[in-house]
Amino acid sequence: MTEDFDSTNIEDFEAKDTARKLPIGWLILFWGLILWGIYYFVMYSPSISGWTQEKAYHESVKK
Amino acid sequence: MNDYQYDHQTVKGFIVSSIFWGVVGILIGLWISVQMWKPEFNVPPFFTFGRLRVVHTNSLAFGLGIGAIFGISYYIAMRLTKRPLVFPKLARFHLYLFNAAIALAALSLFAGMNQTLEYAELEWPLDIGVVILWVIFAVNIFGTIIKRKDEQMYISLWYIIATVIAVAVLYIVNNLAVPASLTKSYSLFAGVNSANVQWWYGHNAVGFVFTTPILAMFYYFLPKSTGLPIYSHRLSIIAFWSLVFAYLWTGAHHLVYTPLPDWIQTLAIVFTLFLIAPSWGSVINGYYTVGTDWNKMQTHYLTKFFILGITFYGLQTVQGPTQAIRVVSQLIHYTDWVPGHVHMGTMGWVTMTTAASIYYIIPKIYGTEIYSIKAANVHFWLVLIGQLMFSITMWITGIQQGALWKATNADGSLKYTFMEGLVKNYPFWQLRTVAGVIFTVGMLFFIYNISMTIRKGKALAASRA
Repeated sequence: MTEDFDSTNIEDFEAKDTARKLPIGWLILFWGLILWGIYYFVMYSPSISGWTQEKAYHESVKK
Repeated sequence: MNDYQYDHQTVKGFIVSSIFWGVVGILIGLWISVQMWKPEFNVPPFFTFGRLRVVHTNSLAFGLGIGAIFGISYYIAMRLTKRPLVFPKLARFHLYLFNAAIALAALSLFAGMNQTLEYAELEWPLDIGVVILWVIFAVNIFGTIIKRKDEQMYISLWYIIATVIAVAVLYIVNNLAVPASLTKSYSLFAGVNSANVQWWYGHNAVGFVFTTPILAMFYYFLPKSTGLPIYSHRLSIIAFWSLVFAYLWTGAHHLVYTPLPDWIQTLAIVFTLFLIAPSWGSVINGYYTVGTDWNKMQTHYLTKFFILGITFYGLQTVQGPTQAIRVVSQLIHYTDWVPGHVHMGTMGWVTMTTAASIYYIIPKIYGTEIYSIKAANVHFWLVLIGQLMFSITMWITGIQQGALWKATNADGSLKYTFMEGLVKNYPFWQLRTVAGVIFTVGMLFFIYNISMTIRKGKALAASRA
């Protein structure tokens, strides 16, 4: 026995919609955040840039 | 043999149970919100803020949240695999065990048994119970998917799979402990390791309880109730894989400016900010879906629940990553901003979307219509207003708290005493109670509507028989 109340079939939707391209604005966001992430990790990792939380704190107190 | 009817009763059982635990959790939430500005409302030893607060979070996250997730995931899995559950009796047993576990959990928390790990408070015998519950859920979900009658796997199934796997790993690892007695244990982790594991768990509880299963509901019930195809299946898949890839790295953003190594904090911040992209992938997918016909906002009452729900998800997933940034974290962390943030997610996104899914399911399994669309609309506006008031008052007082705590005199001493800061919170805490009452009244409309629909459905079934 199949169900009689499921009139909208999600699978029927899918096939044609898969063809839709990713929105360009979203792609910019996606790759932009990855690039920013690489920059941020380099800048704020003690073993790469020499930045440390403690040094940053002492500098902020000096002001 | 067709077991849909039997399985539907199990789904309904989970939904009704989750609503029951939701009422418990919301009422306790109101109570503790009063305790914040009226200490007389603490009744030691069982009903003090410290004990009630964990009953509030546990009964809502695990009673309302997980209860609804169990039931609705079963429902979605049956629809998308085009078959009943593989183990219907096991699912029914799952329902009974779930309620027993939540009841025991509440009692043990009232009694003060607590592992002192946030969202992992339950002591080890209950943890074992939770793991058994989860294994049953996994067996039934995976079994049903493996035996599916439809080759295609829609995005909602992927989100459910991610939920099952991730929660299992997180829950077991963070609860590893050495029992000292039946009611007391010691965590396997200590010091900074313990903090790191705890927030890896704590943040991903948000990710895999309040995000992935709710997205499964969103992607299923939005097209179903509007009749509009999801804008882009490709976008939903790419957003899914990048979300589950990034989420598990983010927990350490809860530990900015702690003894945790700087590079771990930085890495967590990077992944947290990245999460904006997959989160907004789902947000714009939702907007573009309804964007093909905005009239649906007026013509179908559930559309606005889903669109507002995904809007709060979108706001939550920008606010959350922003909070991870060091300069923002040092102002708002440990203040009331944080409960403001959490409640926008839980009241605005999770409860809104879950309630809309329940509005869809209950009439469907009885082959009837919702009892009152008007009552559902009243519910919508009240919970929306209550939630916004709650969040906004907490953001304001959170920034105020942070600013007062950080203010120093020229010689470096603190400008304000703790009491001076505390007193300034009272008007906002009182407003929050008002907001909570508005939200609660909205939820009462929801419960009334659902119970009347069930009554109508039962009468209909009786007349058919």
